[in-house]
Amino acid sequence: MSLEERRIDTVFQPPPAAAQEHAPARRRRALATTATAIVVALALAAPLFTSGYLLQLATDILTSIALAYSWNLISGYTGYLSFGQVAFFGIGAYATAVLVVHTPIPWYVAIVLAALLAGILATALGTVMLRLRGIMFALGMLGLARILGVLAQNIPFIGGAVGLTLPAQLTPIPVYLAMAAATLVGFGLNLFFSRSQWGLAAMGVRDDEGAAAALGVPTVRVKVVSFVLSALVPAAVGGIVAWNRSFLDPPSAFDPTLDLQVVVFTLFGGIGTLWGPALGGLILMLVGEELWAYVPDLQLALYGLLVIAVVLTFPGGIVGVANRFGWLRRRPILAPAAFPAVERPAASSRAASGSDAVLEVRDLTVRFGGVVALDRISLTVRRGETVSIIGANGAGKTTLFNAITGFVPPTEGAVLFEGAALAPVSAFERARSGIARTFQIPRLMDSMTVWENVLLAAGNGRRAAHAVDQAAWALATVGLEAMWLEPAESLTPGRQRRLELARALALDPTLILLDEVMAGMTRDEQEEIRAVLRRLKEFGIAAVAGVEHVIAAIADLSDRMIVLDQGRKIAEGPPEAVLRDPAVIQSYLGELQ
Amino acid sequence: MLLLQLLVNGILLGGMYLLLAQGLNLVFGVMGVVNLAHGAIITLAGLFTFWFATTTHQNPLLLLPVVFVVMLGVGVVLQRVLLEPVVGAGRRAELLSLMVTFGLSYVLVESGLNLFGSQYVSLPDLQTTWTIGGLAVNEALVASGLLGAAISGALQIWLRRTASGKALLATSQNQIGALSCGIDVRRMRAFAFAIGAALAAASGVLLILVIPLAAPTADTLTILAFVIVALGGLGDYQGAALAALLLGLVQSFVGYYLGGDAEYVVPYLLLIIFMILRPQGLGKAGRPIWSDKR
Amino acid sequence: MGEGTLSGDKRGRWAALVLAASLLAAPAAQAAGPIVIGASASLTGALAVDAAYHLHGLELGIAEANAHGGWLGRQIELKYYDDKSEPGTAVRLYTRLITEDKVDLTIGPYSSGVTQAVAPLANKYQRLLIDPGASLPDIFVEGNLWNIQGIATSTGYLEGMLPLAQSHGAHKVAILALQSAYSLACGKARQAQAEKLGMPVVYNTTYALPQPDFSSIALAVKNANPDVVVACSYYPDAVGLAQALQRVGFAPKFLAETIGPAEAQFTAALGPIANRIMSNTTWWPSLKTPGNAEFIAAYKAKYHEDPDYHAAATYSAIEVLGAAVAATKSLDQTKLRDWLMEHPVETVQGTFKAGPYGIGTQFKQYMFQIQDDGRKLIWPVALAEAQPQIPYLGH
Repeated sequence: MSLEERRIDTVFQPPPAAAQEHAPARRRRALATTATAIVVALALAAPLFTSGYLLQLATDILTSIALAYSWNLISGYTGYLSFGQVAFFGIGAYATAVLVVHTPIPWYVAIVLAALLAGILATALGTVMLRLRGIMFALGMLGLARILGVLAQNIPFIGGAVGLTLPAQLTPIPVYLAMAAATLVGFGLNLFFSRSQWGLAAMGVRDDEGAAAALGVPTVRVKVVSFVLSALVPAAVGGIVAWNRSFLDPPSAFDPTLDLQVVVFTLFGGIGTLWGPALGGLILMLVGEELWAYVPDLQLALYGLLVIAVVLTFPGGIVGVANRFGWLRRRPILAPAAFPAVERPAASSRAASGSDAVLEVRDLTVRFGGVVALDRISLTVRRGETVSIIGANGAGKTTLFNAITGFVPPTEGAVLFEGAALAPVSAFERARSGIARTFQIPRLMDSMTVWENVLLAAGNGRRAAHAVDQAAWALATVGLEAMWLEPAESLTPGRQRRLELARALALDPTLILLDEVMAGMTRDEQEEIRAVLRRLKEFGIAAVAGVEHVIAAIADLSDRMIVLDQGRKIAEGPPEAVLRDPAVIQSYLGELQ
Repeated sequence: MLLLQLLVNGILLGGMYLLLAQGLNLVFGVMGVVNLAHGAIITLAGLFTFWFATTTHQNPLLLLPVVFVVMLGVGVVLQRVLLEPVVGAGRRAELLSLMVTFGLSYVLVESGLNLFGSQYVSLPDLQTTWTIGGLAVNEALVASGLLGAAISGALQIWLRRTASGKALLATSQNQIGALSCGIDVRRMRAFAFAIGAALAAASGVLLILVIPLAAPTADTLTILAFVIVALGGLGDYQGAALAALLLGLVQSFVGYYLGGDAEYVVPYLLLIIFMILRPQGLGKAGRPIWSDKR
Repeated sequence: MGEGTLSGDKRGRWAALVLAASLLAAPAAQAAGPIVIGASASLTGALAVDAAYHLHGLELGIAEANAHGGWLGRQIELKYYDDKSEPGTAVRLYTRLITEDKVDLTIGPYSSGVTQAVAPLANKYQRLLIDPGASLPDIFVEGNLWNIQGIATSTGYLEGMLPLAQSHGAHKVAILALQSAYSLACGKARQAQAEKLGMPVVYNTTYALPQPDFSSIALAVKNANPDVVVACSYYPDAVGLAQALQRVGFAPKFLAETIGPAEAQFTAALGPIANRIMSNTTWWPSLKTPGNAEFIAAYKAKYHEDPDYHAAATYSAIEVLGAAVAATKSLDQTKLRDWLMEHPVETVQGTFKAGPYGIGTQFKQYMFQIQDDGRKLIWPVALAEAQPQIPYLGH
């Protein structure tokens, strides 16, 4: 039985429908904030009433939590599993050690410089490695830590295999405070991700990178920035640890069990959540401190078993379990207290090209190996027009859409949008410039609410207030405002389609490509979608609907109909004429009797 | 003469690397799962072989078929219990299964530590050197190289010529399509993982004859195996053979001319170079590796 | 087990209470509880096997001291934790021993790597730390005031090899060193020594573990055709190197490797090619150091196996501490440290004498060879059990 079948919460769980924010909830929120503030204050004041061993233990706990928070940024929120946190830990440790040994810079400044260095390296690394799929990235990072360890061993300037000795100063309290500061920074970054449009974009990349790009999310940029942010705190932590131990060598700087710890703690606490890393780190470090005295031989095995158990039984971690009882739920991003009343936001700031033709496809040919998917297709779509493209299975509609939106490069020919050639423009930029699309099978972000799905599209390039307005308008236009805070995955298929349409609308597009938008819809659902399609005309948006079977549902809405067969255009014209064309009928039904 | 010797050493070394990597490729090709416990399985099998050979004083090669068959069974169980539940988690399945095998690797390594201790062990069998026309050739390396190539070839034949193998190939290319052809995809997944694990175990039995093994360094073997698979193209078997050969040759020559440290660095350097210049690897048939081409 | 004391935790706590009470009653009164020595041991983890010897040496030393009335009229207790061979854990444990358990005296942990992490604590808390596990010299440098070396320095490993070889007509030398702190120091020292002796170093390389195959290195060695091959190694590389040399058909007149050949499995793993390999040690059963025979007998009686040089190192550390306590009649860290920096102590491991920055100056180095009838001490010549068998045959 798969996870889905067992109806277990997926790893990244959206909150259920939140009622209107009324007084009790607000009071609860204030209470939570105060409680957090008290905990933080206590933690910072801890050195005043502990010393020695306990302070060292507290420092170690904070170390784990800080590392877990950073890992959460790239692996939790952005969904790119990294087995290489220890790489940045080691880089930071060595940078700090070298600065402290060879320059008069004090250690607490050195760790900041080390963090900056790690950020610069992460930018270079990320740009290379994040082009690759998640798996390659994970394994590449695994190898990176190994490579760095080998490098460190062979560079005499940083001590080689012998290591570096730092001045031995007893500074447990400043070390503790520095670690607390690093943890706060890590928490702050997580807070930023969990409440901002940036975090929303990261989660979009995590849930469905391709769909996110089609919604205008600059996926590579988002990934690289998340990666860089996730490198800063580990580097600082590495520096603090190196200073505290007054000694550093390659095995202790690039210790692979750190990676295991980070993964276990975050997973156990709740990956991709705001409180998961802190909870996981605190609980497991305290439990471990006692447990390892009794079963020291089994520590790593137990950690491994815990990882497996969490993934298989409660992949949302402790926070996931708490969510089911109503605690620690994630707040939908930028969701106002009540659904805003909307009017259509200011007219599109996009300068119209002046020409009537919004989309022009010239002799477009797409070949995959020996298969010709599109063969010299030419068509034009004008402003405000609705064009339907019909064709039997395999005619090439989806490939055409993929070529227009930038997911598939044309082998020959050109696509022009608003008079400008699209060739060099990347997929997300095409979306931002006004080309929206829906997918044959709705690709919704299933860890987000309905609201957030639309906000993701509305947010690109817009400031928060405008994005909220745009998203609200889009949702209201498709009639889904009543369930704006439901998890997207809980919608019926018809509503999912409408949500996709809302996302497309939120992009403020000039052109919408609809791929099989009627497929699998009931009569009523078809009517709901047809209502939205009519409104598209009102907004002056050109629509191109690729339809396979349910032609009748779209024929009367279309100004023009184009027929594709095996990659070639075989008919074009008003719907009634096209539908009676013998060549068209033959392509659908086979030989004419 | 010297060059010829270095060449021969490199080829034999490549054979050993190929042996290391085979099981990983199969599992990844079919299931999209990178088995991070790969190195642990190899090491445990090798340590078990050492224990067997030193306590029963029998020829360790006798273990080869036994370990293979036993690991098939264990592999099926592991896949059913640990990996199958994750398959249905949609897009997150890849990451979740990565974490599961990550955890599994630690469980296995710690078990190895407790059962066999932390010291390196090796077997003196098959250490004789044959001299063929002035070239020194080590028996163990030849055996592992030949067996590595043989297993690779047998795998190819099985995948392309037999019904069950073709079913596995079909599943790796398109699960839904295979399902609609009547192939029991669940069984294929279990099968693929089991064979991958069994291949890893078989490699371990052979490896202990060539190099010392120890529980704490199991993850180095995983990384080496991954480097070969990545250099060859994820899921591409011919590519992996090329990559293993490349690695063996480069290491052989670099080790002679530039010393031990340089030799050690070679796999990681190659990984970096390929990741920057040709991430899809040497082969042509690998799975897509770019993030935006799902 | 993680935590252990010779007489139980409760007694320690009780002792602390008594101590507190007596301190309150009469500030100048002598405390009546046991003297507690704190240490960590790598009972689990990558280094576990040898660390058992390390711990047993400590326990035996303390038991013997207690049998003779203890120190300053008080019994001695050992308080140790398992550091799991992890430097980070060891640091936390020693901090605990010093600040929480407030032990009277401390002894360093098992391996060089772990000791390096723990050493700064001694300087930070200004406490004497005798390090029987630290053969590398890098701790005992400027800035170190409180660590004292309790074992021979690795720069001296195999220091007898080159003169011995030269006296038998050898000339060209090859040096190989593992990338680890102690072995690099060893390799560099042997290089310097070769240059001083006028023996050309025809091949010199370092390598890292795990190294799957030494064929290329062996070929390069063969090509350089040295008379002496010195490898500052650990266990698997000592095995791999010997195998690789045999494979390429090269047998130097002298083959010496560190650490590996001392392991029991070495001869089993290599078979006949292990014969006539030479290696280093810091202690040997046949040595006539004071109390050695008794030490071996007592160890055998208590643990039913022979001690090794790790056990000898920790046993001797206890002897050294005991001498300092007896001479200064106190447990004051500064007084003990100052006394130890000035005075030699005779131990089963030889003469302990601290030099600049705490480095051990008078521990001797020895060499043994694997011969048909077992491992035999062959150097220094005056203490040798048997004649060295030359040349190395390689088959």
